[in-house]
Amino acid sequence: MARTALQGIIALDFGTGVAVPDGIRLLAELGAKVIKIESSKNLDFVRTIAAEKNSSAGFNETNRNKLSIGLDLQTAKGKDLLKKLIKIADVFAENQRGGVAKNLGFDYESVRKIKPDIIYLSSQGFGGGGPHSDYPAYGPMLSAGSGMLSIWKHPDDPYPVGSNSPLPDHMASKQCAIAIMAALDYKRRTGKGQYIDMAQTEVAASLIGESFLDYTINKRIPQPKGNRCSYAAPHGAYPCTGMDNWVAISVFTDEEWHSFTKVTGHPEWAEDPRFSDLLSRIKNVDELDKQVVEWTFPRDAWEVMEILQKAGVPAGVVQRAPDTMKDPQILHDKALVELEHPIVGKRLYPNVALKLSATPAVPSKPAPLLGQHTDEICRELLHMSDNDIKNLKKEGVLESPDIPQK
Amino acid sequence: MTHHQEGALTGYRILDLTDSKGAYCTRLLGDLGADVIKIESPQGDPGRSIPPFLNDNPDPEKSFFFIYRNASKRGITLNIETEEGRNLLKKLIKKADVLVENYGPDYMDSLGLGYESLKKINPNIVMASFTEFGTDGPYKNYKGSNIVDFAMSGVMITSGYPGKAPTLLPGMPAYDAASMIADVEIIAALYTRPAIGSGQKIDVSVHEVARTGLYPWSVPIYSHSLTPGGPLPWPESRLGDSIYPVYPTKDGYIRVIALTPQQWQALVRTLGSPEVLLLPDWENFIYRIGNSQDLFAIMLDFTTQFTQMEIWEKGFQEGIPIAPIYDIPTFINSPDASARKFFIKVKHPVIGEGLYPGPPYKWTETQPQIRFCAPLLGQHNEEIYCKELGLSKDDLVILRSAGVI
Repeated sequence: MARTALQGIIALDFGTGVAVPDGIRLLAELGAKVIKIESSKNLDFVRTIAAEKNSSAGFNETNRNKLSIGLDLQTAKGKDLLKKLIKIADVFAENQRGGVAKNLGFDYESVRKIKPDIIYLSSQGFGGGGPHSDYPAYGPMLSAGSGMLSIWKHPDDPYPVGSNSPLPDHMASKQCAIAIMAALDYKRRTGKGQYIDMAQTEVAASLIGESFLDYTINKRIPQPKGNRCSYAAPHGAYPCTGMDNWVAISVFTDEEWHSFTKVTGHPEWAEDPRFSDLLSRIKNVDELDKQVVEWTFPRDAWEVMEILQKAGVPAGVVQRAPDTMKDPQILHDKALVELEHPIVGKRLYPNVALKLSATPAVPSKPAPLLGQHTDEICRELLHMSDNDIKNLKKEGVLESPDIPQK
Repeated sequence: MTHHQEGALTGYRILDLTDSKGAYCTRLLGDLGADVIKIESPQGDPGRSIPPFLNDNPDPEKSFFFIYRNASKRGITLNIETEEGRNLLKKLIKKADVLVENYGPDYMDSLGLGYESLKKINPNIVMASFTEFGTDGPYKNYKGSNIVDFAMSGVMITSGYPGKAPTLLPGMPAYDAASMIADVEIIAALYTRPAIGSGQKIDVSVHEVARTGLYPWSVPIYSHSLTPGGPLPWPESRLGDSIYPVYPTKDGYIRVIALTPQQWQALVRTLGSPEVLLLPDWENFIYRIGNSQDLFAIMLDFTTQFTQMEIWEKGFQEGIPIAPIYDIPTFINSPDASARKFFIKVKHPVIGEGLYPGPPYKWTETQPQIRFCAPLLGQHNEEIYCKELGLSKDDLVILRSAGVI
């Protein structure tokens, strides 16, 4: 088997939700040994939003390729075991509610006394060092608290509502992985670890930098544009046949516009003074959109996408999960993978998207049950005897699943 | 092992052949300390024509979109469609660590600049290529765009109001997700290079990364629901307003996360336990989702008694997660962004001074930073071509006239 990029690296995931756990998953896919530090008393909150702690689809997606140790950090013995793990670790990452890691005795200052060259990433919603550092934060609050949500709406919506997906959590997680990777390379070259304090609101704000410049330089408060684009028309999501089905279409160039008029059977639009060039299309965009809807509405979204793409016009189905599961390119790329999890059985998950030619990513493995690898970690990494492990389980310091394992 | 370096990636040189689609990838590497050389065609990156512009003046040096996403980079012009241009690029590749491009499948190969050729010039080179829909497959020649890639990510169908068109997220979400995944891979390739003794090739499909990376949960959630007796699927429609409701206050809107009964009770206490909210039905999350319009009408009587900050802080004391919906100026002046000095003054020779969002993190050893403003078109031609490649100023004149630089 080829060498992996992070072979030999040990990362401790004391995270919850997405921002840290999803970022650390990328390290696992690059070959790091990732150990999730958890216990029944301090569950990753995504485990709590399912019928049973091992059956959460969100958790089982985010925490693939990790090992789990069930470790009660409220006990002195539990703390000692975590200290032993820290001694052999390269990375420690946490996004518990602000103050939790410190109260347990595992803030950066304490951790680096145990392992001076540790890379320690901490991420709170509003970041450390501000008045709201200890405030809990979920993804939908971060688009709100960053300015991003204020412009995530159609101009005629009464107020912005964003999405039921937890974005920008899954952007923060990628920044988390970038930061740890860069810190690992710095450590490789200099021997030094460091502390990184990431604010998830700031990740969101970083994604709309031009809007901030429009305000700080032009002194103009950016207004929401919805699906409109100031230099393309048609540009939007258009309804198709069926319940709540849509296709996104964007026409930028004259060439795309002429293809669009031909393939939709409306060559007359190219001659129509309301639509013949970009400026007139932008001026008459409401009228244009009505005409486009008349064409899309009786058609299937997939059919519209195919007709337009074959004619060289950018178009794409506004996908739901079942669409993705039949998307021919997704299938061709093997971008989804079926994994068998001991509790929930066979399910589809997004596959590993990392494509490195010389150090291939590690194939996806199911997320761990809570404490699934407690014995293995204690034996192999902490060199503990079976008897010690058994006793600590009796005392409730260690925990492993009480269901039969495969 | 004790040499000082300013940034985590100081010492690496990145050749940046991207346009607006991959600009954020190399921008982040520049903030982390890498020497990023943006290589534009003599006509300039099309990203220079993306608004907003300084005073709405559509000048290639005045695009805020361009200057934001190309800060921390130096810039040269080079036409790689000329033989001479390719030869200059090859000279640069000899001294580079990474090359990033987003021309699309087969383009670099067609110029003799594919990975197999590059590694003959420099076996240590890491080459990262972005494509819209992959290097191969049924969509290989399909066209992407910001809205098309976002539509296919699975997030758009959940964005906005039910009954209205799904709503585009501001910014460039699909391209930025792909950019960040590319960064993770590029740094991993640099990290592992001494151990394996060579660079490598990285392929990033914007469609694949956006679909698997922006809202990865929707596939397993749906997949879980397919079993008889399995949990109900999270409805894939636009429910942001009812699941994470938004209410007005005296001075702006707030967003409330009341998922558990405890959180709902804390919200009711925060609002002074009004009788109308004590009806047991309201404790049921699903009931609240089903009756979110009625609830909104009731809630606004109470939420409008507070300012954003008052209800946020009182909610915290009671145990209900609330967030203010900041507009752009309010976030800049917010207590947290101010305390963390998130916004950074950057001066640009044409645009002047502006406050930019800085890197979203604080580091103790190698603080990432906006190291300098975005380059003017060809600003560093002399610095790179003359000082590094040994061309004369006269050579530059000839190359300029010939359309090479």
